[in-house]
Amino acid sequence: MRLAIFLLILCIFEYAVAVDQTNFKTCDQSSFCRRCRNVKPDNTKFALVPGTLNIYSDSITADLQHKDNKHLFSLKLEGIEKGDTFRLLIDEKTPLKPRYRVVDSLKEIPKPGSIKVQEGQGELTITSGSNKAVVVADPFRIDFYQNNVLTVSVNAKGLLTFEHLRPKPQELGTDSPDANEVKSSDEITDPGAWEENFKSHHDSKPYGPEAVALDFSFPEAEVLFGIPEHADSFVLKSTSGTDPYRLYNTDVFEYILDSKMALYGSVPVLYGHGPKRTAGVFWQNAAETWVDIYTAEKNVVSSIVNFVSGSSKTDPPAAHFMSESGIIDVFILLGPSPIDVFKQYTELTGSGPLPQMFALAYHQSRWNYNSEDDVEEVSAKFDEYDIPMDTMWLDIEYTDGKRYFTWDKFKFSNPLGMFRNLSKLGRHMVIIIDPHIKRDDQYFFHKDCTERGLYTKTREGKDYEGWCWPGAASYPDFFNPEVRAYYASQYLPSNFKTVTADVMIWNDMNEPSVFNGPEVTMPKDMIHYGNWEHRDVHNLYGHMHVMGTFDGLLGRDPNQRPYILTRSHFAGTQRYASIWTGDNTADWGHLQHSLKMCLSEAVAGFSFCGADVGGFFGNPDAELFARWYQTGAFLPFFRGHAHIDTKRREPWLFPEDTRLIVRDAIRKRYAFLPLWYTMFYEHEMTGEPVMRPLLAHYPQDKEGYNIDYEFLLQDRLLVRPVMDRGASKVNVYFPSTDDKKTGDVWYDINTLKKYTNAGYESLPVDSRTIPVFQRGGTIIPKKERIRRAATLMKNDPYTLVVCLDRAGKAQGTLYIDDEKSYAYRKGEFNYLLFEFENGQLNVNFKSKPNFKTTAWIERVVIAGLDRTPKSATLIVGGVSQDLEVLPHEEGVAIRKPGISVLELFTIRLNF
Amino acid sequence: MYQLAAMKNFSLLLLVLTTSVVLAVADIPRPRGVPLFKASLYAPRSDNSWVCLDGTKTIRYTQLNDDYCDCADGSDEPGTSACVNGQFNCENIGYRAEDLRSSLVNDGVCDCCDGSDEWADGAVHCENTCLELGRIEEEKKRSLADLHERGSAKRAEFIARGKQMRAERETRRKVLEQRRSEQEAVKAEKEELKRNAEAAEAEALELFREQQREKDAAAAEEARSQDDSQTTRYEAEAAFVKYDANKDGFVEITELMVDMTLDRDRNGIVTVEEAKYFLDERDRIDLDSFYVLSWPRIKPIKMLAEGIFKPPMQEGEEPEQNDRSNKEEVPDQETEEESEHEGAYGEEDLYEDEEGEGEADVGVGTVADETHTEPDYDPETKRLIDLANEARNAFSEAEQRVREIDHEIRDIDDHESKDYGPSEAFFALDGECFDYEDREYVYTLCPFERATQKSRHGGPETTLGRYEQWISDGDKKYEKQKYAQGAACWNGPQRSTITEFKCGLENRITSVTEPSRCEYNYIFETPAACDGAATHDTRQRDEL
Repeated sequence: MRLAIFLLILCIFEYAVAVDQTNFKTCDQSSFCRRCRNVKPDNTKFALVPGTLNIYSDSITADLQHKDNKHLFSLKLEGIEKGDTFRLLIDEKTPLKPRYRVVDSLKEIPKPGSIKVQEGQGELTITSGSNKAVVVADPFRIDFYQNNVLTVSVNAKGLLTFEHLRPKPQELGTDSPDANEVKSSDEITDPGAWEENFKSHHDSKPYGPEAVALDFSFPEAEVLFGIPEHADSFVLKSTSGTDPYRLYNTDVFEYILDSKMALYGSVPVLYGHGPKRTAGVFWQNAAETWVDIYTAEKNVVSSIVNFVSGSSKTDPPAAHFMSESGIIDVFILLGPSPIDVFKQYTELTGSGPLPQMFALAYHQSRWNYNSEDDVEEVSAKFDEYDIPMDTMWLDIEYTDGKRYFTWDKFKFSNPLGMFRNLSKLGRHMVIIIDPHIKRDDQYFFHKDCTERGLYTKTREGKDYEGWCWPGAASYPDFFNPEVRAYYASQYLPSNFKTVTADVMIWNDMNEPSVFNGPEVTMPKDMIHYGNWEHRDVHNLYGHMHVMGTFDGLLGRDPNQRPYILTRSHFAGTQRYASIWTGDNTADWGHLQHSLKMCLSEAVAGFSFCGADVGGFFGNPDAELFARWYQTGAFLPFFRGHAHIDTKRREPWLFPEDTRLIVRDAIRKRYAFLPLWYTMFYEHEMTGEPVMRPLLAHYPQDKEGYNIDYEFLLQDRLLVRPVMDRGASKVNVYFPSTDDKKTGDVWYDINTLKKYTNAGYESLPVDSRTIPVFQRGGTIIPKKERIRRAATLMKNDPYTLVVCLDRAGKAQGTLYIDDEKSYAYRKGEFNYLLFEFENGQLNVNFKSKPNFKTTAWIERVVIAGLDRTPKSATLIVGGVSQDLEVLPHEEGVAIRKPGISVLELFTIRLNF
Repeated sequence: MYQLAAMKNFSLLLLVLTTSVVLAVADIPRPRGVPLFKASLYAPRSDNSWVCLDGTKTIRYTQLNDDYCDCADGSDEPGTSACVNGQFNCENIGYRAEDLRSSLVNDGVCDCCDGSDEWADGAVHCENTCLELGRIEEEKKRSLADLHERGSAKRAEFIARGKQMRAERETRRKVLEQRRSEQEAVKAEKEELKRNAEAAEAEALELFREQQREKDAAAAEEARSQDDSQTTRYEAEAAFVKYDANKDGFVEITELMVDMTLDRDRNGIVTVEEAKYFLDERDRIDLDSFYVLSWPRIKPIKMLAEGIFKPPMQEGEEPEQNDRSNKEEVPDQETEEESEHEGAYGEEDLYEDEEGEGEADVGVGTVADETHTEPDYDPETKRLIDLANEARNAFSEAEQRVREIDHEIRDIDDHESKDYGPSEAFFALDGECFDYEDREYVYTLCPFERATQKSRHGGPETTLGRYEQWISDGDKKYEKQKYAQGAACWNGPQRSTITEFKCGLENRITSVTEPSRCEYNYIFETPAACDGAATHDTRQRDEL
């Protein structure tokens, strides 16, 4: 064991054993959260100033005034291109200094829509498409109508807060008597307004109080969800009596479950959903943010109140966003369907790009694979046990003393040789590059950053110095384009000579994690590019890091799709990287939460999400290990990973039955890779999430709202993993398509057994069972041959699984390209649509096939037929050929159509 | 040579896949991927059908190797990747034939050295490396055999030494047993002498102490008479009246015997002797004499019984050991004494000597007493004490000798119980230690003892495990050893080590790794692991 790591870990444990929650602030310990939370509702001080309205083709502007302190703000309300999104901006009209506006989160400047404005008595109506916003002048509020139905109200609770910048009190001259009145109404007396202490850390707060806050009500909603990342249920819980949900990227050691504590990522998008409508708000602010949730909890007290007041009407669900600094910049997404609103969000922040095929396959990681021999042995063992595996990962120990872009020359003397050997087997490697830079004058990266002034600075203008894996470390200021360019250039083959263009990157610890910093991160009064305080930009730090990495990988090989995994993330990071749920623990609760967390991430733009399979901390027993693989195989990002203190846990180190279960689970993942690949292509194209909550397709099914132990993959698969110890049966919930009990038809993917009833179904399971169901009405492409890596399956033939709906119909797509390059963006792909109707399967191209492949169709499985066909006929270009139809589980299989995926064909069943 | 009818297909690709599915190799025609010895199983039946090898299904002969899996056992696709459970046989002429999983067929990676597994895609070019591999393997085998042969010569030395040592051990053990019984006799004799000397000593001491007590009593009486002789007189009179049950003006032996506080040896009765002691060895005593002679002796005892008086601890007057054992604090005391005592025999004894406890206790008190200031004994008493001490020393020496012999016997038995492999070949390693240095640590292995680690920059040694046993892996019984129960890892398990033995000409550690946290792997080369005969056998088998 290495002493250095030992000491380092010792020092981490010293400040947190199984998350010491006192290391992280409560709302009460955070001055601005305290201040914003204390604002009394229904008494807003803000009103539009008459006569200040300006109307433009896509927007209006007006002045907004605080009635007591008379401070002026400028308000802008924009209609976005399609009319289903509005943007509301509020800033000080003449701030003492500019206030921070988030950059690089949106994929581009949203395209303006066109609006019509109608001025009424004390209110304005702004129409955009079929939607409208009604701005009430005094007391200020805005009501958003989707197709004439009130869907989102802004400031309906009157919690709007906008702390204008001000001189520090002692710097004020002698008060003039008439200023006194204004002053007292404007005073912020909270002791933490001008400086704040937390534990041993001091925050100098040179600019004083500058918080912004606003409430959003969702009259059409029954549940609220979104604002990842929290280890909590998918549906947001009321924060009445608890802390608000917190968004502040932090490296939480051994995080706890069912908690509203902040975690590694922050995506400030929140949705309100009801049977008829779904809407959302995207609060574009990168400062520390807390979100209070008001939901109409049906508890005894509210029932009594309602009974007494004779009203069954409770306040609609609402959210109260509170941020420490910046401006109010919020997008109102009006839906109306769940999928619509998810797309409206990705329209703004972008969707995840289609990854290379290997990235969707199985990843094998551990802190740490210790040497080149170790890596090769593990890779060889996967072959020995016939378990597919595509990517080996190296955690921090591969480096020379945690100096990134270097190698430990003893353990990894010939990395290029190691990559070559992996590549020969079709495998890839991902190595870690963290943002903390070892303060070592002999280390080129540190030298460059020091000499060129690339580090984040202290208030005094010195390089900020913290403590992380390498010991004393500094943090490049990735907000500076020059820093990103320098960092990106380190990936150029001329600089990073010890890796090939196939080696991909893992960005960890980029919250940033600072072991000796306040809340394990950087102090808020550090200074970034443009003289912004870390306070203003904190939640964007990882995002900027990842942008640099993405540029670096593109610069290295412009025609290869970069693959990056990041821990810290913000709205928009999905355009560059996949995420995982960080340092989880080997217990059943964490397995269950991997679903809830990735579901929340998926609706917030991050479809490419997974959890450390097996659990990072601790040692999973065989049962948990197996169940975790079964679950992970159906989550988008599928990687086994473990802490350095845990026992080795490659699948063959478990008893044979466990090893075989794990092998089966991984093989199942590989069989479904054509579907995963197609889904991710469609995700890039449409922005619709890959992994979806039940309500995405069953919006009227209220029972389904709170079910976050199962999920959908597109609308094709329903996944309900076994996530309980010793389970001999599971309750599967088949959602209903209306508010009655009508549901879809579902087929068990193994047996093709048909389920036609909506509602709970208790199904027996054994240790091998992964309850997954294909929806009737869909066609799924698979590859059922086993290969050691996904990259070697490229030319393998397809199996189509056709599951019929009640009308005997089904359809599904298949996307094919070179699985690696950007040629698909130039049209080099095949996009097929299969349709089954009247006993006949047809294929059509959604666009002209333009990618050459030798892949062909091996088998067509059909489930849900009333009668068993005697044979089938393949018709290609007027030529017919008879095909055999064989029994296949509870369906049939058409034997070997043998037709290339580049050909148009029809298969007719003969009864 | 068979030629399967190519199905009429629509894509060029399938044409490629389904022609040339059968190859003529080694004269006997058989479908691709079928090993020679299975060729006969792949002949068509008269109706051009074929039965899957598991007998479960009959298919058309043309379905063999048509790139679609028809048989549950995968037997119909020996030459393609269609069956998940299929097997492809590479002939690998010049090397050795090999069965590949069908997942490796046509995956773009050359797995057979003859390249026969990549036949579908012309773009994949596999070189035939069989001859080269064969040559390399032959060379490896040769050099391995050579190593084993040369190593075996050294191993023979090890074995000889091991056997000799075993024989020596056995002889030595016999000698030791003989000496032990002799020494036991000596010990018994010394014990007898010691007992006698101690009896004499005890008597003398008793006498001495009695005199001492008288002196003390006189001194005490004098002291007391200075300030409260009057009080004492009243107390004495009161006691006299109480004791004088028959009111005859005398206190008699029988009258004292009813007072249980006078039971000095706590045996439950006040004996005549005990009573007489208080009467200054007379049968009865009058008030004046009682006041002068008896009361000074009785009063302290009364006060003691009433808990008023706490005399300084007097040696020799302590209750006997049997009684002591009833008190709670006694076991502790004994343990303390025991470990103190054992410390004198050195570290090895720390783990042993349980049966020696009782004997070892004798005389301890006295020996310990000598460290206190010794009273001023009269010459005769002193002489007897010295004699007793001598006898005690002689006894413990004799005892020590027996213990030493026992220790050596145990040591031999220890070795006897260790498994030194076939023909004691590994014996030579026991008792030796070997070092291995990497960048940060010096690793040490003392085979059959322990594995340790020490930073190169100094600091304490960390135990990575104590020898536990061989780990047998099938017929490979003597390749790996487990060392367990090492120093506990912080927040983790106790360290443990697996040592793998490989044939080498010298004893040395060739690598140390830590595949899992706190679980170490040593590779150790030694002639003891060489097996000339075995490799010779293999070579012969291969040549067949």
